Amino acid sequence: MKIDRRSFLTYTTALVLGGAAGSMLTPAPWKLTDDVSIWTQNWPWTPVPEDGEVTYKQSVCTLCPGGCGINVRLIDGRPVKIKGLEDHPVNKGSLCPMGISGLQYLYGPSRVTSPLKREGKRGEGKWKKVSWEEALGAVTKKLAELRASGRPQSVACITGSDQGTTPNLIGRFLTAYGSPNYIRSATAQDAIEQAIYLTQGKQGTPVFDIENADFVLSFGSGILDGWGSAGRMFNLYGSQKPAKKIIQVEPRLSDTAAKANQWLGINPGTEGALALGLAHVIIKESLYDRNFVENFAFGFDDWTDDNGKTHDGFAKMVKNFAPDKVSKITGIDKAEIVSLARAFARASKPIAINGRGHGAIPGSIDESLAVQSLNALVGNINKPGGISAIPDSNYAKWPEVNIDEIASKGMQQPRIDGAGSEQFPNTRFLLNRLPEIINSAKGESPVQALLVTDANPMYTLPDTAATKKAFDRIPFIVSFSPYMDETASHADYILPNHSYLERLQDVPTAAGISRQVISLAKPVVKPTYETKHVGDSFILIAKALGGFIENAFPWEDYEAFLKETLKDQWRKLKKKGIIEIKYDLPEPLAFTFNTVSTKFEFYPTARGSVKQKQNSALPTYTPVPIEGDVQRFKLVLIPYDSIRLAGGAIANAPFMTKTVDDTVLKKQVGLLEINPATAKGLGLKEGATALLTTPKGETTVKVHLYEGIKPGIIAMPRGLGHTAYSEFLADKGINVNTLTGPIEDPGSGLDMAWGIRAKLIRI
Amino acid sequence: MKDKNAKRYGMVIDLDKCTGCGSCMVGCYSENNVPFKADETNKLDSINWIRVYKITNNKTYPNTEVCYLPMPCMQCDGAHEGHSPCVSVCPAVATDYDYDTGIVSQIYTRCFGCRYCMAACPYHARKFNWWDPVWPADMEKYLSPNVSPRMRGVVEKCSFCFHRYQLARDKAYLEKREELEENEYQTACAEACPTGAITFGDLNNKHHAVYKLKNSPRAFRLLERLNTNPKVYYLTSKSWVRKAGDNYLAHEEPTKIKNNIKEHH
Amino acid sequence: MNETPLIPAGVKRCSKWQFSLWMAVVTAVLLWGVYAMYLIWYKGLNQTNMNDAYGFALWIWADLAVIALGGGAFFSGFLTYIVGKNELKNIINLAVVIGFICYSSALLILAIDIGQPLRGWFIFWHANVHSMLTEVAFCLSCYFAVLTIEFIPLILENPKLDKKPFWHHLSHNMHGIMAIFAATGVFLSFFHQGSLGGVAGVLYGRPFAFREHIFIWPFTFFLFTWSAAAYGPCFTILVTKITEMITRKKLVKDSAIHLFAKISGWMIITYIIAKSIDTIYWAFVTAPGMGFTLMDFYASSTYNIGLLFAEIVICGFIPGLILITKRGRENSFLLMSAIILGVIGVSLNRWVMVLQVMAVPVFSFNEWYTYMPSWQEVATTVLPVAYGLIVISLAHRYLPVFPQEKELNPID
Ligand SMILES: Nc1nc2c(c(=O)[nH]1)N[C@H]1C(S)=C(S)[C@@H](COP(=O)(O)OP(=O)(O)OC[C@H]3O[C@@H](n4cnc5c(=O)[nH]c(N)nc54)[C@H](O)[C@@H]3O)O[C@H]1N2
Ligand SMILES: Nc1nc2c(c(=O)[nH]1)N[C@H]1C(S)=C(S)[C@@H](COP(=O)(O)OP(=O)(O)OC[C@H]3O[C@@H](n4cnc5c(=O)[nH]c(N)nc54)[C@H](O)[C@@H]3O)O[C@H]1N2
Ligand code: SF4
Ligand code: SF4
Ligand code: SF4
Ligand code: SF4
Ligand code: SF4
Ligand SMILES: [Mo]
Repeated sequence: MKIDRRSFLTYTTALVLGGAAGSMLTPAPWKLTDDVSIWTQNWPWTPVPEDGEVTYKQSVCTLCPGGCGINVRLIDGRPVKIKGLEDHPVNKGSLCPMGISGLQYLYGPSRVTSPLKREGKRGEGKWKKVSWEEALGAVTKKLAELRASGRPQSVACITGSDQGTTPNLIGRFLTAYGSPNYIRSATAQDAIEQAIYLTQGKQGTPVFDIENADFVLSFGSGILDGWGSAGRMFNLYGSQKPAKKIIQVEPRLSDTAAKANQWLGINPGTEGALALGLAHVIIKESLYDRNFVENFAFGFDDWTDDNGKTHDGFAKMVKNFAPDKVSKITGIDKAEIVSLARAFARASKPIAINGRGHGAIPGSIDESLAVQSLNALVGNINKPGGISAIPDSNYAKWPEVNIDEIASKGMQQPRIDGAGSEQFPNTRFLLNRLPEIINSAKGESPVQALLVTDANPMYTLPDTAATKKAFDRIPFIVSFSPYMDETASHADYILPNHSYLERLQDVPTAAGISRQVISLAKPVVKPTYETKHVGDSFILIAKALGGFIENAFPWEDYEAFLKETLKDQWRKLKKKGIIEIKYDLPEPLAFTFNTVSTKFEFYPTARGSVKQKQNSALPTYTPVPIEGDVQRFKLVLIPYDSIRLAGGAIANAPFMTKTVDDTVLKKQVGLLEINPATAKGLGLKEGATALLTTPKGETTVKVHLYEGIKPGIIAMPRGLGHTAYSEFLADKGINVNTLTGPIEDPGSGLDMAWGIRAKLIRI
Repeated sequence: MKDKNAKRYGMVIDLDKCTGCGSCMVGCYSENNVPFKADETNKLDSINWIRVYKITNNKTYPNTEVCYLPMPCMQCDGAHEGHSPCVSVCPAVATDYDYDTGIVSQIYTRCFGCRYCMAACPYHARKFNWWDPVWPADMEKYLSPNVSPRMRGVVEKCSFCFHRYQLARDKAYLEKREELEENEYQTACAEACPTGAITFGDLNNKHHAVYKLKNSPRAFRLLERLNTNPKVYYLTSKSWVRKAGDNYLAHEEPTKIKNNIKEHH
Repeated sequence: MNETPLIPAGVKRCSKWQFSLWMAVVTAVLLWGVYAMYLIWYKGLNQTNMNDAYGFALWIWADLAVIALGGGAFFSGFLTYIVGKNELKNIINLAVVIGFICYSSALLILAIDIGQPLRGWFIFWHANVHSMLTEVAFCLSCYFAVLTIEFIPLILENPKLDKKPFWHHLSHNMHGIMAIFAATGVFLSFFHQGSLGGVAGVLYGRPFAFREHIFIWPFTFFLFTWSAAAYGPCFTILVTKITEMITRKKLVKDSAIHLFAKISGWMIITYIIAKSIDTIYWAFVTAPGMGFTLMDFYASSTYNIGLLFAEIVICGFIPGLILITKRGRENSFLLMSAIILGVIGVSLNRWVMVLQVMAVPVFSFNEWYTYMPSWQEVATTVLPVAYGLIVISLAHRYLPVFPQEKELNPID
């Protein structure tokens, strides 16, 4: 056969086709297909978590001040899951979503993995990794210089807590160094603490014995939105007896309002007026606890002072708050006010609480005093189901600090923030005043060096622009944050602390709980990165500074310090993870108070220096001045708190942000809640984009129409709009603090802002 | 095939207790190696094995009410056990009905991503891996070995934490026990719920809490009229919530509608 | 290269340059689609705008639509080889080519559509006999093989191949047994067209799609098979007319076209009556039983009741009535209108049965789901169109697709 080119091609084609057909009859293609399928099941880029021995480690969550007990599951020593610790007295197994997300903080992309020194401009994000020696050396050098120049008081330290050994160690350091400017971030606890101090003469952590109360009247406290120890509050809500009633007074249908037995939509900022209105009805109808009021209270009736001057009592003062008038102020129906007052007074164990949302902003002292007076009217002070205060625990035994002359001079300087001054004698810390004081200082900033730990003021303080300006004036900023938060990213040096799961630390009772419990947070895993316990950093700096400062820290490291100061308690704490310091509430009906009158003071005489209308220290209601011109800004913006967003210093973990609804955040844009009626007037439809302006700033938002918000009010959540951290959080929505500003309470100096005027224009 | 000792695991979610906190979602993510992305605001490409919906009674201020509605996979039985909407449609048996537990499984390495099961599921319980999962920084370290991480192109969904059942069963087997105690096998969401709104157990077992709860007058199921026969029950004392859980014609009232499917025992 | 020996004898073709230009344009479109396909395979389905609510979307519609439109192949095979309508031999080649294009496209789209294409094999290896998709996949693959076998003899009729005795004999022998393959094809088609109908009909969690009692079996199956048989010929005729328009010559005698159109017309009329019965039972019995009124399903601005009217009346009864009347089908304007409406009608039906099923909210508190395909989805959906044009152009140029062409266009 002659094979030409054509027939060659033909036969080749036939051969190929035949071969292809034939090979289908062999196992080869089928095997190959199967192998390819199997390969897709074992893609090398899909991780295969290693298996191993299962163990559990118990510790305490310190992501917020809640102090919930946690139980961490580990596989071959690798933590894989956090759940609630069943028998922990605070939370009894319940955790908030933040606590459950904990491992994402430990291993997440926003960790600071070694000491860093700023390279570029502040906040530019250019860093140089430095050794611990270098970082500690630089901080020591700066602090030594300031001391040598006789200005130790120009060093300020902002912390997140003043309870427990770590904050106390830092406080001790500042004392030995010579600065009075230890400043703790503020919360609503400050105002409540102060109200309790003024009425009961007790300095301590407030107790709200909700466990035993049967009627909770909440003036905007987000008890199911993250208020107090969220783990505890959820646990209480879930295990409540059906008889327990919750009344939520709030302008917005929050999650707490949604679960309450009754929701009263109130004009924002008028909660204090409602409290006084309720007192009015209770007194008028003689529903108050006569025994308590007559025998254990002062200032209920009119009284005459040593100078013979007569003062109105509480009972007379609240005559001004008749339901009619209060209804006009609060927007709550008159009949509702009366029936609420009756229900509250007639409940067997009623309790009134305040502190809006998470309780991040202190609020007005008058409001807290009014709420405390309500509690006193029903006599639920210092008894189960009531209000009291646990004295600050002094379980750690500290040797006396000896200080040198420089330190002594420094300590005698007034605090920069004005706390404890003549103007604000009853307030301990006033972080909210700091930016304004620094910004208005002539010449150089009164703060020459700022140390920040467990706090993120660049994010959490209202009026972000002013805060940034103030921080820019501080020549030297050191952050101890384990995470690249907003403050850390504006620091000059970062000396990263261990993350909470790598750290040893005692955790005292969270606010609200009626037992004094000290838990021990134990490292569940060895430090993952080149970090150092903040206590160790301070001890090392103290040793390097030498002299009296060094002498104040005779301990090798933080652990030694903790062990030695806790003495015999340590073994118990280490073994059980928890110790309870015996503290009994005063016997019921044997009320003793530390006030001048030795009674509960409806008229807080300790508030003597307060120059108020009628020269009276009685709580009253004066509308909190709200920033902004009514004509220009027709709406009122209120920040709100949500349990799925961490509004405080520690930001959301990716898992939490994942739970955030698309009615709150859509891509990178935050949504603002607005009543459909209000929105209609502005020509805004669901999802429309609008320009939101307040006297402090402006931003683009989308609107979410929500019937659960009072017409004329608009609300945005706290906890979005971070500029630092990682792509999982940064640049999502807006930080409401950039749109709001602080309002100083004339009585306490604390921030009492609850909102700001705003305007919204469709774009 | 069906064993007389067979279980019908199910869940009862008390909507009167649910506060919408989201702990169940986060508990599930961390138990089941659920991935996450930088942008999770498109809820239609966001993997949630349990999603908490926020629903309202559509009344104007101040008569507005809100109810949170957590929705895991309903573990539907269908008209007869095993006839779950999603199971019968899967061409590759990548999702199956387990007659011992009543759990609808999902085998990620078998699934080839045709998404027919997603079309079949009225509860949107099934989620597709549009992307390969990425755990940034050192986050791979926290992954649990009990649930294999998924790859892109496959469907995943709530498994009633099947691996927890397997671990409990293996433990019981080693201890020569046949029965599992109620608390030995609990789902991660039930465990994470801080208010105790979620109860889990064997719906066939008189001694389990779910047995009693499902017969409560407050009990109902979602979209019962579709005859999906879910094993997730809800409790509510609000009639509007109950009504929102299914579809009704203008004149119909939820309590009057008879579901033509009886649950199996 | 001299292509004269490749071109069938006795017919005239456009110049090589004209043809190359046309091919270049279509190939460019094809390459755009191929690029999109590459992106999807390489990066995954995140390249689409599908989401968890729209798990089935444009592609599944395209799949269902091309399979329906390709229905002309099995139905003309059925009529020619089984019923014995010899007249249709004049159009069946084209029907087979279209069928081949449609089914290969459907398989390609499926391979793009699944999340783990390399595991697509599992549909066969781990087959679930209860799943409609399993049946579809098996029948689709088998029927594609049959169409390939039906296409081969036509390819072998290329004058150059035909010169080789081997191919000539092969072609001859294959022609001899073609009736068997046609019958097999018809059988397979009945099944998979029907199963495709079942794909939506069995979704008892989707009130819009679900049918009860006899309306699921045999109705959903029957409706899909019947509609493919009814509307497939419209598409075959449409392609014939377009080819005639482009080549500017008559390729199929009117007698064949009119016969095919008439049969199609009667099929459409019977189908649309059955469909109406199905719709009425569904609207007044099935849906209310699940708590839905008919209007609940058409409460969106996109998916409004006009859609149902368009599908049943405008694209159903109207073309059906035109085609069954002699005057109608013999009037070229009316004929064209009818076949275009028919093609739209069946595509619309498949669209509704895929996309509207996904769009309708099942919970009272959900919104209608919306979806816009990404460019990658559009490009990969256009890809088969470009591919089809290429195959038809090549087939027409080099193969004797239209037996009557020589007779109708004598070269003087
Ligand atoms: N979801 C939810 N969010 C909450 C709350 C809640 O209950 N639920 N509680 C809210 C309340 S009441 C308050 S007062 C705020 C508290 O918030 P704040 O009192 O303002 O301060 P902290 O969160 O204690 O401070 C944390 C800062 O210190 C650094 N840091 C690093 N590691 C740790 C650590 O392990 N622990 C702590 N504490 N800080 C660390 C971080 O960089 C962070 O910037 O949180 C609020 N956020
Ligand atoms: N990336 C990667 N992939 C791998 C591997 C790897 O190393 N890396 N390893 C491969 C190997 S060796 C293996 S064995 C496989 C394991 O792969 P798989 O078998 O997929 O293993 P799992 O993902 O643990 O099992 C998951 C699913 O099986 C379901 N399931 C569990 N028990 C049952 C049951 O009794 N009945 C039914 N019907 N379903 C059940 C669960 O609900 C769950 O959805 O993974 C393979 N895939
Ligand atoms: S409430 Fe606070 S302490 Fe408790 S789990 Fe949540 S973040 Fe942790
Ligand atoms: S809820 Fe959906 S995924 Fe779960 S069993 Fe039912 S149909 Fe299947
Ligand atoms: S997507 Fe996976 S599980 Fe779902 S039907 Fe397809 S193969 Fe089955
Ligand atoms: S049962 Fe398990 S898998 Fe299902 S939602 Fe709950 S935690 Fe997730
Ligand atoms: S964890 Fe419990 S309370 Fe929180 S959203 Fe889930 S079911 Fe509701
Ligand atoms: Mo394996």
